[in-house]
Amino acid sequence: MNTGPYSDEKVQRFLQDNFIMVKTQCFFDKPVELMEQFNIKWTPTLLIHDKAGKEHHRMVGYVAVNDLFAHLEFGKAKVFFDTDHFSNAIETLNLIIENYPQAAITPEAIFYLGVARYKKHHDPSGLRKAYDALKSKYPESEWSRRAEPYSAIPGNS
Amino acid sequence: MSEIMWERDFGEAKRKAIHEGKPVYHDFWFEG
Repeated sequence: MNTGPYSDEKVQRFLQDNFIMVKTQCFFDKPVELMEQFNIKWTPTLLIHDKAGKEHHRMVGYVAVNDLFAHLEFGKAKVFFDTDHFSNAIETLNLIIENYPQAAITPEAIFYLGVARYKKHHDPSGLRKAYDALKSKYPESEWSRRAEPYSAIPGNS
Repeated sequence: MSEIMWERDFGEAKRKAIHEGKPVYHDFWFEG
């Protein structure tokens, strides 16, 4: 059963407003087909699917409410990003960065914001901006290291 | 709830996702 932040009233309202919700009960001694299909090995595991059922984001375990909101928004953004809806992806990623600066997934959101900007505008300065933001705000993040090659792109700073 | 019902619910969620234009939030849970 859902406990902790996942049963929070605000979380439930957000889920109802933004997603189609579905639950699958897990039996580890006799995994159901959906557990096999999505390789579910632990609970809670939360997946964000597109309308075809393809997985775009996964979260295992419990996190604080703000981290959960950031993950849910990131799931929405990844569906947009992975299906080439870059304007919507940019809008959703910016929302995460502005509203959840302390969330663990926010550096990844900045990285993908840079890539989405590049893909939308075909302008590498979006990647350089992502590198600059990660380096200044989240220097210890793995995503800062992943963006390191973009430091070679000419920027304003 | 039988396995076929979880499959049915996921199928219904995908149909609703198409109709309402929303992604699907899928919670795999364990009753311990």
